[in-house]
Amino acid sequence: MANFMPTFFPALIRLVAMLCLIVTCGAAIAQGDEQAEYRVKAAFLYKFGEYIQWPEDSFANAKSPITVGVLGADKLADELVRTVGGRTLGGRDVAVRKLRAGDPVADLQLLFVGRAGVERVADVLSALKGRAVVTVTESERAFSLGSMINFVVVDDKVRFDIALRPVEESNVKISSRLLGVARKVLPRAA
Amino acid sequence: MKTLVQEAASELPGVKSFLPRTLRAKLLGLVLGTSLVALVVAITAMVAYDLHAYHQGWVNDVATQAELLGQTSAPALAFDDAQVAKDNLNLLRFRPKIRAAAIYNAKGALFARYLAEGEEPGFPALPEADGTRVDKRDLIVFKRIVDHGEIAGTVYLRADYELYPRIIDYAGIALLVMLVAMFIAFLMSSWLQAIVTRPILAIGEVAREVVTQRDYSRRAEKLSDDEVGVLVESFNDMLSEIEKRTRDIESSNHKLALEIEERRRSEVEIARLNTELEDRVRERTLQLEVANQELEAFCSSVSHDLRAPLRAIDGFSQALVEDFAEGIPEEGRRYLSRIRVSAQRMSDLIEDLLNLSQVSRAKLAIQPVDVGDIARQVVADLRLRDPDRVVDVSIWEGMQADADPGLLRAALENLVGNAWKFSSRADKPRIEIGVLRDREQSTFYVRDNGAGFDMAFKDKLFGTFQRLHSASDFPGTGVGLATVQRIIHRHGGRIWADAQVGKGAVFYFTLAGDDSEEPSPSVERAS
Repeated sequence: MANFMPTFFPALIRLVAMLCLIVTCGAAIAQGDEQAEYRVKAAFLYKFGEYIQWPEDSFANAKSPITVGVLGADKLADELVRTVGGRTLGGRDVAVRKLRAGDPVADLQLLFVGRAGVERVADVLSALKGRAVVTVTESERAFSLGSMINFVVVDDKVRFDIALRPVEESNVKISSRLLGVARKVLPRAA
Repeated sequence: MKTLVQEAASELPGVKSFLPRTLRAKLLGLVLGTSLVALVVAITAMVAYDLHAYHQGWVNDVATQAELLGQTSAPALAFDDAQVAKDNLNLLRFRPKIRAAAIYNAKGALFARYLAEGEEPGFPALPEADGTRVDKRDLIVFKRIVDHGEIAGTVYLRADYELYPRIIDYAGIALLVMLVAMFIAFLMSSWLQAIVTRPILAIGEVAREVVTQRDYSRRAEKLSDDEVGVLVESFNDMLSEIEKRTRDIESSNHKLALEIEERRRSEVEIARLNTELEDRVRERTLQLEVANQELEAFCSSVSHDLRAPLRAIDGFSQALVEDFAEGIPEEGRRYLSRIRVSAQRMSDLIEDLLNLSQVSRAKLAIQPVDVGDIARQVVADLRLRDPDRVVDVSIWEGMQADADPGLLRAALENLVGNAWKFSSRADKPRIEIGVLRDREQSTFYVRDNGAGFDMAFKDKLFGTFQRLHSASDFPGTGVGLATVQRIIHRHGGRIWADAQVGKGAVFYFTLAGDDSEEPSPSVERAS
């Protein structure tokens, strides 16, 4: 480890700085700053990618990026682009796409539907039902519409719940370690 | 037993000056010492290995635990969920040896922590670099949490590090094991050492008995086939050899003693025989002397008695010739003359016999004499008696000797007289009287150039009445040389002769006890 340290120190500093940013943002939510909230959620969105395994046939080829679609939350999309900043997930690049109503969502791997797009959520979610696209929402009702992960703010901290049934219906695998840090996990038969 | 223990104890290192004195104690010490060293080395090695294994194992264990905690807590850090991290840490209550744990976030701030029951709180303010270290009795581990290629935080673990208590425990166990092992080794070697020491002690015992009792027939019992067995055999062989030698010496001593005894007895016997012989010789000598005296007395009286009739024969023959010269024819006078010559010869013979008898009887009066002087007197007498003869006589000077002067003169009268007589027909008669000296004695001689004699008869030369020449050639009685020999023998000397017919004779004689100086030859001439 002693040898490990010096060579990786520059990278370490960079990562630490970035994570600090995330944590600081989390702390800043207390002021009700929407910008800060989206920054944390963007970081979480990226982190989700680390604990999710998509089936191989959901990608066009081995080099295809993981495409994150953001609907109704352009600020979050901007934050996400900043967060990703050229990093990869499982060897794949991460592409962020801002969506408008009616845009195709079938080729996405991760879809975030913001509060602004919640009116159209039911359509989108039902369209994606059974597809290998992880859906993330920030609405109380979203689970009943078939969302997989839903952000909540508890004690000024961003938390998330996970519904297992839609996850299982798609061919996506979510790591149990992610389940371990979820605020609530809705069982399959919920 | 107590002394054995003490002596065995003295065998321990650093007590060299108190080496045990008995073989048993040395063996015991050897076994115990060796066992102790082996035990110490073995136990040390085992303990060292175990402690090393413990250290490695425990460090790996705790490090692995830290790694696991880190991996488990990575999502909690990623999603900023301290409660989950705390829950993870709380699982450590099933590892009571881990006394404290903490998770620091990527910024280095304390994110979650755990304390075992009864543990004093206390956490480092900042995480240290990756690694493990031992701080007194704590093992401290810092482990970076790397999540998807990024450092998410650091795990801190503080666990009990029981190396030192373990060492103390092991020391106690080792001491106990060693005590038990040494006790067992002591019992076993006390019992087993007899196998080694018994044959050696037996040899020593036998050797001591052999020395004190001088019994070389003793043998040591062979109890084993090892080196000690060989020693026993060698020892027994040596004893056999000594026994054999001793027996040889004793028998030769005995033989020698017998020989000495034998010799002593022989010497006694010889001494006895000698004494006896001496006695007998003395007795015989006495008898002989008596017989000789009787013989000589007889001879003397006979001679005297024979003289009277001879004198009568001679006297009356002379009277007849003188008184009746006319009445007796020429032939008768010639007979009467021959009667008288025979009577005269008889008288001479009797005279010589009387002389011989006197020589034998006379007492020796040994004194220093000059042989030359006596010889000169003798020669002077001869010249006086026979003045017509011309004889060249040479006599050496300084011929000293110890002898009876009267007897020596008688001997010389005979020898020189013979020389005078037998050289009468030589052309130039010559007589030499001298001495030959060597380291031991002086040999006197009388040499002439007269008739000599045949050496074939030299044995008869000194016999009484022995004559080598006819009376018509040289007159004589045949008693003279017998007389000379007797005189020389009475002096303890020897006489012998050397001669050649017609060339002369030499008579040599020695006188015992003669020790005179070298004479200077000088010649006395007579004309």
